[in-house]
Amino acid sequence: MNAYTQVLFKNRRSNETVLLPEYEKSGGYQGLRAAMKMTPAEVCELIKGSGLRGRGGAGFPTGIKWSFFPADQPGDKYLVCNGDEMEPGTYKDRQLLLADPHQLIEGMAIASYALQTQIGYIFLRYAYEDCFQRVERAIEEAVEVGYLGKNILGSGFDVELHVHGSAGRYILGEETSQLNGLEGRRPNPRSKPPFPAQRGLFGRPTNVNNVETLATVPHILTHGTAWFQNLALNPESAGTKLFGLSGHLNRPECFELPLGITLREVVEDFGGGVRGGKKFKACLPGGASTPYLTADHLDVMMDFNPLEEVESRLGTAGVTVFDEDTCMVAVTRNLNQFFARESCGWCTPCRDGLATISWLLDRIEFGQATNDDLAMLKDQVKNIKGRSFCALAEGAMGPVEALLRLFEDEIKDHIRKGCCPFASN
Amino acid sequence: MTEFLPQNQIDSFKAKAAAIAHPHEMIVDLLRAIQLHHGWVPDDGVLLTAATLGVLPIEVEEVATFYDKIFRREVGKRVIHVCDSICCWATGAEMITEHLKKALGIGLGETTTDGIFTLLPTCCLGACGDAPAMMIGFTTHGLLTTEKIDDILQKERAAVAAEIFA
Amino acid sequence: MPKLTIDNLEVTVPEGINVLEAARELDIIIPHFCYHEALGSVGSCRLCAMMFVDGPVKGLQMACMIQAQDGMVVSSTDPDAIELREHVIEWAMTNHPHDCPVCDEGGECQLQEMTVAGGHGVRRYSGKKCTFTNQNLGPFVQQEMNRCITCYRCVRTYRDYCGGTDYGVFGSRNRIQYARFREGALESPFSGNIIDACPTGVLTSKPFRFKTRLWDLQEAPSICPHCSLGCATVPGGRYREVQRVKAGINRETNGFFICDRGRFGYDHVNHPERPRQGRLDGQPVTVNAALLAAREQVTAIASKHGPDSVAFLGSSRSSFEASVLLHDWAKATGSQQLVFEAHQGRDRAARTLTAQLGKHVRSQEELRQSDLVILFGADPLAEGPMLALAIRQAVRNGGKVVVIDPRPVELPCAASYLPLSPEKLPEVLVALGKKDFNAFEADERVLLESLVEQLKSAQRPVLIGGADLLGGKGVQALCAAAEKFTSDERSVGVITLLAGPNSYGGALLAGDGPDFDSILDAVQEGTVRALVCLESDPFREARDPARAHAALGHLELLVSFDSTPNLAAQRADIFLPTRANAEMAGSYVNNEGRLQAFMPVIDPGVPIRETGAGNHPPREFFQITPGSSPEADWLLLAGLLERELDLVGLRESIEKDHPPFAGLSSIAAETTGVRLTAQGTLPPAEEQELPHAADSEALTLMAITGQIGSCWLAHLSSPLAATEPQPYVILHPELAAELNLAADERARLTTHFGHCHIVIRTDEKMLKSLILVPQLWDTALEGMVPGGMLDCRLEKEAQR
Ligand SMILES: Cc1cc2nc3c(=O)[nH]c(=O)nc-3n(C[C@H](O)[C@H](O)[C@H](O)COP(=O)(O)O)c2cc1C
Ligand code: SF4
Ligand code: FES
Repeated sequence: MNAYTQVLFKNRRSNETVLLPEYEKSGGYQGLRAAMKMTPAEVCELIKGSGLRGRGGAGFPTGIKWSFFPADQPGDKYLVCNGDEMEPGTYKDRQLLLADPHQLIEGMAIASYALQTQIGYIFLRYAYEDCFQRVERAIEEAVEVGYLGKNILGSGFDVELHVHGSAGRYILGEETSQLNGLEGRRPNPRSKPPFPAQRGLFGRPTNVNNVETLATVPHILTHGTAWFQNLALNPESAGTKLFGLSGHLNRPECFELPLGITLREVVEDFGGGVRGGKKFKACLPGGASTPYLTADHLDVMMDFNPLEEVESRLGTAGVTVFDEDTCMVAVTRNLNQFFARESCGWCTPCRDGLATISWLLDRIEFGQATNDDLAMLKDQVKNIKGRSFCALAEGAMGPVEALLRLFEDEIKDHIRKGCCPFASN
Repeated sequence: MTEFLPQNQIDSFKAKAAAIAHPHEMIVDLLRAIQLHHGWVPDDGVLLTAATLGVLPIEVEEVATFYDKIFRREVGKRVIHVCDSICCWATGAEMITEHLKKALGIGLGETTTDGIFTLLPTCCLGACGDAPAMMIGFTTHGLLTTEKIDDILQKERAAVAAEIFA
Repeated sequence: MPKLTIDNLEVTVPEGINVLEAARELDIIIPHFCYHEALGSVGSCRLCAMMFVDGPVKGLQMACMIQAQDGMVVSSTDPDAIELREHVIEWAMTNHPHDCPVCDEGGECQLQEMTVAGGHGVRRYSGKKCTFTNQNLGPFVQQEMNRCITCYRCVRTYRDYCGGTDYGVFGSRNRIQYARFREGALESPFSGNIIDACPTGVLTSKPFRFKTRLWDLQEAPSICPHCSLGCATVPGGRYREVQRVKAGINRETNGFFICDRGRFGYDHVNHPERPRQGRLDGQPVTVNAALLAAREQVTAIASKHGPDSVAFLGSSRSSFEASVLLHDWAKATGSQQLVFEAHQGRDRAARTLTAQLGKHVRSQEELRQSDLVILFGADPLAEGPMLALAIRQAVRNGGKVVVIDPRPVELPCAASYLPLSPEKLPEVLVALGKKDFNAFEADERVLLESLVEQLKSAQRPVLIGGADLLGGKGVQALCAAAEKFTSDERSVGVITLLAGPNSYGGALLAGDGPDFDSILDAVQEGTVRALVCLESDPFREARDPARAHAALGHLELLVSFDSTPNLAAQRADIFLPTRANAEMAGSYVNNEGRLQAFMPVIDPGVPIRETGAGNHPPREFFQITPGSSPEADWLLLAGLLERELDLVGLRESIEKDHPPFAGLSSIAAETTGVRLTAQGTLPPAEEQELPHAADSEALTLMAITGQIGSCWLAHLSSPLAATEPQPYVILHPELAAELNLAADERARLTTHFGHCHIVIRTDEKMLKSLILVPQLWDTALEGMVPGGMLDCRLEKEAQR
């Protein structure tokens, strides 16, 4: 039923994991072979030309990030794969790793070569024990045949990969706290500059990329940049993207879809429409930190720039849909509670500001709020946004700000009625 | 202190720590190993980690208390992490949690008197497509209904009983 | 040097400083919590917001995180910046208990100041507050976690700066707790610094608790009297007692911190047995009467038996001014018998240093920047604790540390160790200069050879010595080695730990006078008949206390000036009570020749706590303050010598008489002080060795300065005295095993002083052949004068 070209999910079958022989048969490790015939700089150039943007949430162009990396610098350098994936509504990396983990291994081998790193870490969240085992097995398979380890493919280049299992906490998805986490220090974020590419893991140059980003890389090497660009429906964009659907949908599943597909198509054709025949009220287009879209936005393209034009973000492309009976104050309250709880506690706006917002949203939701609380909510958002140490609190403000922008009437309704107008539902 | 981790594992951690430049990087691994073996990490588990890796106890504790999936207090034989993040919330997590509380006769953060279950809320488990979801040990259970929960609890109880008599 | 505009004012600032500091140059204080000059910028509190209007950085930024750059236009009064600062305070106050009326920080609470400065006046949050359980952190620091605003300054001070290993940060989000792993006393000898570092009332001084509201406390800038480093302090007093000490700021010496000895060692001032009255032949007299008697009797003896029948013993505890006057008194008397230190090794070390330091002089600040630090017989935590902290900063800046010492010198940082016997310390210095290590073992040779290479290539090397072990010969070798490795490009630095705050000042005045040991001989022989002790205790400070006791019994006249109940004060025929350093103005010359002024905090008097006997207000009333007769040491001597009685005038007259001390009259407290250019004189060549009866069966014991318990003033201070250890010895675990002894076990130590019971400590870093015994006041180990070697036996305690 998914007529779009499948790249990352091409081998995906339910409840099964692709092992090395099948992966190779489907063209696996051709990208790595192709890369080893190029110079590292050429690989970086190719990725730059492909238009691949990071799939971890921020959408930074991967090739540009790689070209900033001091690949020539002697001494230890590291590659880190970010598989923390703890933002609510996001579960695509898990689907990818469960289905076909060799894509990541191959991508990391290529990236290691392009960036001339010797050691790679795959950082996996605690709940992904299932992925942990599959990735470890894939690494063993790859080491056995020489895609990893010493002198890969007879090139004289070594790649060593380790899997690190985390122990909870969303902040570890932020790349610099992830580095502290890997080092076994308290995982507070680090200040940037210096950027990880200058001073990262153990103080050495380090490149961090998302699972999906790295898994996409081999396909670009195998099929070329033109092919990759043509995958997207938006001519300005490139590639497919994993969309994890959730919430009030008939089919809350994970799909590989071209960038530039409309929200309507995602919700109606792939998500099977809002369940119970209800109307679409709003959605998070890309995880818990992305500002809401409403029915007015159904025809917007699901892609980096088009979503920014409507004051939201593609984020991780985890689309969570809410039906017409959902209280958006309650949704925001739930989201903010998550961020407040997952704050690392390093900086004041996030540590104490998010808790204050939680308190305000509680008051509004439970009908105890006054117009002063609404005013206070607004000044809290203004002073947290862009003022925190890392992007966690910034992300937390996405939904709150959208609530104020799109659903202020609903807040006022709560205040006027002294209770949640949706409470009876 | 060896009862927190089999000696051979301690030895292998020790050997690895001695071979690498930054033994701190194994703190989380070792805490997880102790928890897997012992169910949770008591004070002596922190000291064991510090001694095995040659780091300070305070450094281990600073890390251990940061993570929510390292238990520094005693928990039941099965820890139920019930997700309360947005996708599960939208699909009935509050009802699911209420049901769990009733079925177990405990509140969030508590352990059943028989010491079998501890009920903890958790943020998103990465099972958003299968919401509502919960995780017991490392196993994620999705698309929860009250019947399904009753069934899972019964199986877990039986499994614990089997472990005890084994 | 970047030039920038802050609040419409132009300022040119040094390269590399941040905008918060740049604003400070214009006296614009940007509110901040987490930033601290010594701890650096981490950007966690988000309070120091400023608007960057134009230039290389734009928008609202944390001023502490941005380096001042050319062309920046910055505003601290921008509405957005003001609004954010107000919010940050509001957030920081979310869980605060608002218990200011009962909080010990009140009066110097940075949180309170910032709350006002930030403009947060009305609490809007009315929800539940997070609460915490406190820990008992031991005798020095009181914790009240609920007042915490999570600035991370305590851990950054304790762990990062001071190298403590038992205090950290736990938890996450708004449930961050600062604590020990398990409740218990903080272990770092610098623990008290977290009291100063904490901007609110979470960490306060336990001994100072409930004593005084801070706005009632009298404070003045002072210099710590506990070792030779001359750290800046700010003692505070009320109710006729010194109640606390906090760190002063001197970027050249201590920086921003002090050690716990300096912080909690103030209580000698309030000691209940402190002699506060003049005394003549056992009878209380006025200070004037005692002073007149002292002058008359000294003059009488001198004229009867010749000028050299009167000896003068100064001390490192006295002010520099008083030391000069003592010198002048000896000169006026015509006596050559003038010494400033009863302990021969310490005396010779100090005099040699003043004669040879020259261009090798280094400050603590210079040490913090060093890339190679070698310690020869120096144990900073015992002999000058803040030096250990300076060494740690050198290591944090990338420097290396090597310790050559028989003792297991503990440092709050990594170091390599070469245990050598004390006799070998001067030898190793000579050998380094000659690069001839034939006299050393093979493994020693490897380290020493690499040391030569490191010394040659280091950019800012510093050699550190200690007076206890090096003595005059050692310090001479130390300076010679520094000279040897000095090249045209850079000189090698020397720092030597001396005995006390004015050791250097005394040594400058001592000239080539005799050792105290030869004065003791002269007393024994009857040629010296009178001894004037200025804040010194020859009974306990001489190298061989037994010999001192025996000799001093022959004295016709003993005059003592002192502020502590020491033996000289007790036994003196004429006694004059002096003021403690917190009670007077004066100056000290620290171990680098830095002359620094201190100011009086309180006037002397028996603490109200004592006179009131628990009653407040006291039930008895007097016209004069009880116990107020002590006077400044220099004032007493100036009176006796009929000199200028006003400090400014006195200093000017000293300068006139002693041109090398130029600068004395212009020094001011709370400055970095002035380095004297005066050069001292080497002590006479022949050094008396202590007889050391080598009993082949016996073990050799070396007396050392302990980290706790060996400092006389600290011993008289109850907060520190409470932490003093039981008598102990330290030996190498291998020697312990040979003797069938184990750590923590009790054993019996026998020396020519007799038997005593001690606890065994072991340490692998030390020399295998020695047993180390600390000098501990008022215990059986009181006579263990540091540097001394004795025969001893050490046996397992007989089973009962
Ligand atoms: C609070 C926070 C959480 C994040 N979590 C994740 C995550 O779980 N996975 C991820 O790949 N990136 C996450 N990111 C983004 C990373 O910091 C980083 O930008 C990304 O891993 C870079 O990879 P990419 O360029 O391939 O997208 C997070 C960022 C923040 C601020
Ligand atoms: S915004 Fe601040 S407190 Fe929040 S996670 Fe980032 S650094 Fe930590
Ligand atoms: S002082 Fe600048 S952020 Fe704290």
